[in-house]
Amino acid sequence: MSLNSFKRALWAYHINTGSCNGCDIEILAVLTPRYDVERFGIMLVGSPRHADVLLVTGPVTRQMEPRLKRVYEQTPDPKVVMVIGNCGIEGGVFYESYNLVGPIDQIIPVDVYIPGCPPRPEAIIEGVVKTWVKLEKTMEQRVA
Amino acid sequence: MAISELSYSPWSPVLWLLAFVVVMIMAYFFRRRGQKKYKKGTEQTRIFLCGEEVPEARQRHIRAHNVYWGFFKTMKEYYDANIKAHTGIINDYIIWFIALVSITAVILFIV
Repeated sequence: MSLNSFKRALWAYHINTGSCNGCDIEILAVLTPRYDVERFGIMLVGSPRHADVLLVTGPVTRQMEPRLKRVYEQTPDPKVVMVIGNCGIEGGVFYESYNLVGPIDQIIPVDVYIPGCPPRPEAIIEGVVKTWVKLEKTMEQRVA
Repeated sequence: MAISELSYSPWSPVLWLLAFVVVMIMAYFFRRRGQKKYKKGTEQTRIFLCGEEVPEARQRHIRAHNVYWGFFKTMKEYYDANIKAHTGIINDYIIWFIALVSITAVILFIV
């Protein structure tokens, strides 16, 4: 699919809502020379104000809930939320823990789910491509 | 009048004015290329503090006193003694004045 409407590099902001760091390490792996997604213009940014995509990991602890909401609200539109790992999707190994308010889609709207504990870098890259396509479609709809 | 005919000095006001104008044009150019889609009055235009709630301006302001924290900490004993001496009562200050003048007089005229 060619990009006609979303014609810029895809920038992502990563937020950890209580993950064990396994998924975060895999996100880091995506940026290493072996996978090197920056060659496609995909890169992590330090602020949601600059991001098109939110990469969310972790099952969302009580402490992180307002912070996750705030970060989501601070991301400019159009935005896409990508959940990486089982914990964010359904709680994973922390399922039904007393201090969780997740999964993530009960707190903010989620567009792409990438299951795995942790998911492989190839899966994360495929998910990013899906978000890119979704952004493209959103922009096309806005133009139309 | 060519710029090169001005007095040879980096302090030439015309050169500084030109540099300022060039910088302003560049700043305007970069600013125009920035993100325009932030929704005003929402979280999108508020300060990002790693997801934390941003306190009021006066609460997040670092007071000047904090800059001297190490100085005050190091000289705490000295300051404690001095603060005790500064009672704010004029009689105390006059006593200090008389005492110091007496000591000075003794040193000057007797010793």
